[in-house]
Amino acid sequence: MKSIPVLLQQMSLLALVSAVLGVSAQVVLPNGIGLKTELTIVSSDSGQVSIPTLSINPNGNTESASNISLRGAFEAHENGTAIFIDARSPEEFQKGHIQAAINMPVHAFMDSMAFLENLDFGTPIITYCDGEDCNASIDLAADLKLMGFSQVVFFFGGWLEWQAAGYPIETGS
Amino acid sequence: MQVLIKIIQEHKYGQMLGMVLRIGLGLLFIYASLDKIWNPGLFAKSISNYRILPLPLLHISAIILPWLEFLCGLALILNKYPRAANAWIAGLLLVFIMAVISAMSRGLDFNCGCFNVNEATANLGFGKIAENIGLLLCAGFLELQFRTNQK
Repeated sequence: MKSIPVLLQQMSLLALVSAVLGVSAQVVLPNGIGLKTELTIVSSDSGQVSIPTLSINPNGNTESASNISLRGAFEAHENGTAIFIDARSPEEFQKGHIQAAINMPVHAFMDSMAFLENLDFGTPIITYCDGEDCNASIDLAADLKLMGFSQVVFFFGGWLEWQAAGYPIETGS
Repeated sequence: MQVLIKIIQEHKYGQMLGMVLRIGLGLLFIYASLDKIWNPGLFAKSISNYRILPLPLLHISAIILPWLEFLCGLALILNKYPRAANAWIAGLLLVFIMAVISAMSRGLDFNCGCFNVNEATANLGFGKIAENIGLLLCAGFLELQFRTNQK
């Protein structure tokens, strides 16, 4: 039993040294981050949500995308002024999506490169995913921003808010 | 259990297996930590995908955890505080297994952030859980050996 406190002491020492090394490394590393998680308040038509800024800005790059409301997204859809990109999985997309949206699962971003390269970097793009319980729309918007698209916004209310409003949808791929 | 302890204590292959597992686990954890150490921001993003940790703890976890993995791996290889390092590794594996189960039960699907924070192929799944249970069993074997060697 005497060995338990020794074990705990050694475990504490390992944790302490890790903390010191980790914090010090942030000063030296090119991708170092701060200790505090910066939060961004995102509003949608059904309220406000705090999300970590790192979702928008994972590399400390200054590019960031902003949010568009349900109303704004609907107007862009009706006027045909923006491309809607669905960041969910192909299965979810097939079950139903915003009319005329293109599926681009955020983790398969590189697969969509051929399509994206044919678009003008000034093309207005609206990304979305399920709704407030997912960050894929924000991650995709950040990826598109980093790629060079200048007019990218994410619709944080997403599929659930759009569907609930009874706006145009379609199914299949 | 008694039989297993006897084999570990008396059989030369028991000791040899222990050494191979200790060094193997150490190397694996060092390998797993490197990309996270280099990209703490992306690792923080991986942790945030699980939606378990409170947001204010994201950065601090992403800063400390990879170094803890690295140091524990190094300690196992060098056989310095191996029991403490192994206990941390078992603890981390256990937390990770529970996090994957929790995320899967909530229908979340994303890159696990296990070895490479940018990999697109290592999404959550039963394979990931099995892989970590296997590693946890290795850590359990090592703990058993540390105990029997202490006696």
